[in-house]
Amino acid sequence: MNPRALAAWSLSGITIALASGNPVYRALALLCAVNVLVALRRPEVSLRGLSIALVVAGLIAIAVTTLASHTGDHAFLVLPSAIPVLGGSLTVEAALFGASTGLGIAAAVLAAAPLSLVLTPNSLVDALPSALARTGAAIGTALNLIPGIARSATEIRDAQRMRGWRPRRVREWPDLAVPVVLTALEGSIALAEAMEARGYGSGARSHYSDLVWRWADVVVCVVAPAAAIAFVLLRVSGSIADWYPFPNVSLPPVNGVGVACCLALALPALVWRR
Amino acid sequence: MTPASGVSLTGLTYRYPGARTDALDIADLHIGDGVTLVTGASGSGKSSLLRVCNGLVPHFHGGTIGGSATVCGHDVLSTATRVLATKVGFVFQDPELQSVYPTVERDVAFGLENLAVAATAMPYRVADALERTGIAHLRGRAVSTLSGGERQRLALAGVLAMQPRVLVLDEPLSQLDEDGGRSVVTILGGLAATGTAVIIAEHRVDQLARLGGRVLAMEGGHVVDAGRRTAGRLVETVSSRTPSSPRARIAWELTGVATGPARTPLLEGVSLHGREGEVVALVGPNGGGKTTLLRTIAGLLAPFSGRVHREPGRVAFLPQNPMALLHRSSVAAEVLWTVRRDPPTDDVATLLAELGLADLATRDPRDLSTGERQRAAIAAVLAGRPRIALLDEPTRGMDDAARDALCRAIQRLRASGSSIVIATHDKNLTAALADYTVAVGGRTARALAPVAVA
Repeated sequence: MNPRALAAWSLSGITIALASGNPVYRALALLCAVNVLVALRRPEVSLRGLSIALVVAGLIAIAVTTLASHTGDHAFLVLPSAIPVLGGSLTVEAALFGASTGLGIAAAVLAAAPLSLVLTPNSLVDALPSALARTGAAIGTALNLIPGIARSATEIRDAQRMRGWRPRRVREWPDLAVPVVLTALEGSIALAEAMEARGYGSGARSHYSDLVWRWADVVVCVVAPAAAIAFVLLRVSGSIADWYPFPNVSLPPVNGVGVACCLALALPALVWRR
Repeated sequence: MTPASGVSLTGLTYRYPGARTDALDIADLHIGDGVTLVTGASGSGKSSLLRVCNGLVPHFHGGTIGGSATVCGHDVLSTATRVLATKVGFVFQDPELQSVYPTVERDVAFGLENLAVAATAMPYRVADALERTGIAHLRGRAVSTLSGGERQRLALAGVLAMQPRVLVLDEPLSQLDEDGGRSVVTILGGLAATGTAVIIAEHRVDQLARLGGRVLAMEGGHVVDAGRRTAGRLVETVSSRTPSSPRARIAWELTGVATGPARTPLLEGVSLHGREGEVVALVGPNGGGKTTLLRTIAGLLAPFSGRVHREPGRVAFLPQNPMALLHRSSVAAEVLWTVRRDPPTDDVATLLAELGLADLATRDPRDLSTGERQRAAIAAVLAGRPRIALLDEPTRGMDDAARDALCRAIQRLRASGSSIVIATHDKNLTAALADYTVAVGGRTARALAPVAVA
């Protein structure tokens, strides 16, 4: 898949997820993003950590809104008013509004996630415009250093343990931290020397993996932004209505074209193959 | 190659920033086409000389330089390294520190991108470089999963793809197995035959003997044209080796072990042991699992199955990268840091002298040459009385004198009852020290016949 097409899709997904407070559209955008991630993520990538983080973020959004907003007709608990900020009625409407907010956050994060979970960092850097090629190479190299530092830390820790290092107090941790930092610095300098010796910075660069545009890439690159633009126009014109559960909870209004715009985000999972 | 297109140095002096003495002082030197082998003890100025060839000295390292240096007609003193890179390829001593991108194929292409080679031409040049260095099968692999030897070949491939007119290599064989070393020597011979100037600093001169060419001996920053190649030799301690007693107590033992650094075992069904006063050499191809086996014996890697037994006592472990160990302010402080935790202790000065480090005892380990750092790391791990000593490629970057010193230190440890395991490609070291060898590769490790005492 073409990284630029995927970037266009991600931007479209984020736009749709955040353009409306309507949970129906947010839920649809979220489901489409999940579908793309499950179908196209790199084989070694696990979605467990991201899933847990999003569930936690959603629960926090619900909790904060419920505890801080005391608006709504359907109270399920009343906290003593003596408690600052939290005191008052806790309502179903506030909880649902919090859930809708969490849904929007999750949908936006999941729309951006394929940029790191489907693409490798370097393929994204390679997709930068040629004017940013040198900067991109530097970013790619920096990204490559991070796992190296982690490996170096493990190697140093093991080496020191084998020499009898058994940290019992915080002040003994510099025995590990200092060499890790020094080794990282030395490694960075050595890498800079190697890059210089291989001609980095000698002039205009070319790209090994020139971006290839297949028909599927073009379709995604056209359809997803078109859907996002249409969604925003419908939202501005009022055809796509927002949802506000206060004071009395109601079903969110649904527009057929708006739903179609959201479903267009599922396109990558249909036309791209990993 | 005409003189104008070779490497010419006249009245060249160079001093690193903050140094008290010149690292290089070369009256007159011209290096033309063919192979030039640069020899000399650790710290003699080999690496500095090589760095002049592509301008890293002085442009990257700074310092004070005098005289003149031209490479392929370019004035080194006024031409940036990144410009000289179009003519001069450089393979560094430490392959771990020169990979730019995370995958093999992509990393080889890095230099081509910098030279703005057309995208259509790059795949062919990348494939050719991978083929010539024998790592075409690693094309899609993550660099982080490669062994030291595979990384060394990757570094060479990245430079070969750039088709340099002068190829400079700093110890290119130090981590390669015998087959890998042989194939690299063949590649270098082929390049030299087609008009590329190949300049190599290497301690393993025996493998380079068939290349012919010129030898430059270096000492204290000066160059002496020795004129003929020195043959590889066995270390002097070879005849002093005495086999260990079969009745000696077992110090470590693996029983039916399956182990590996990732999720799947690299080695399976491994059953081995080592006795007190015994030296075991792990040999085998790059990526075969020698380091994995050492780490498993050390207890740094838990086996997937099977049993690992070690007698109580300190286990000394020398990793491939000596800088993982060295972080005190001086070489002597490094050794003291170990022995403070492992009494009774030898006299630190004696150990430093044994390894030829007496004059370097007060120096910061990070200011030393690669070979000197290696010796300092060995001193740091072998100090005291380790019950088991595990050494991963201990002769990497070592000259003959340092290797002799290492052999003496290991003989002393063996005499005091330590069980020693060495992972090495160095056949001379194996012949000098090993009671028996273990062939590691093909997903297993098996003990070979005891090494005959010369």
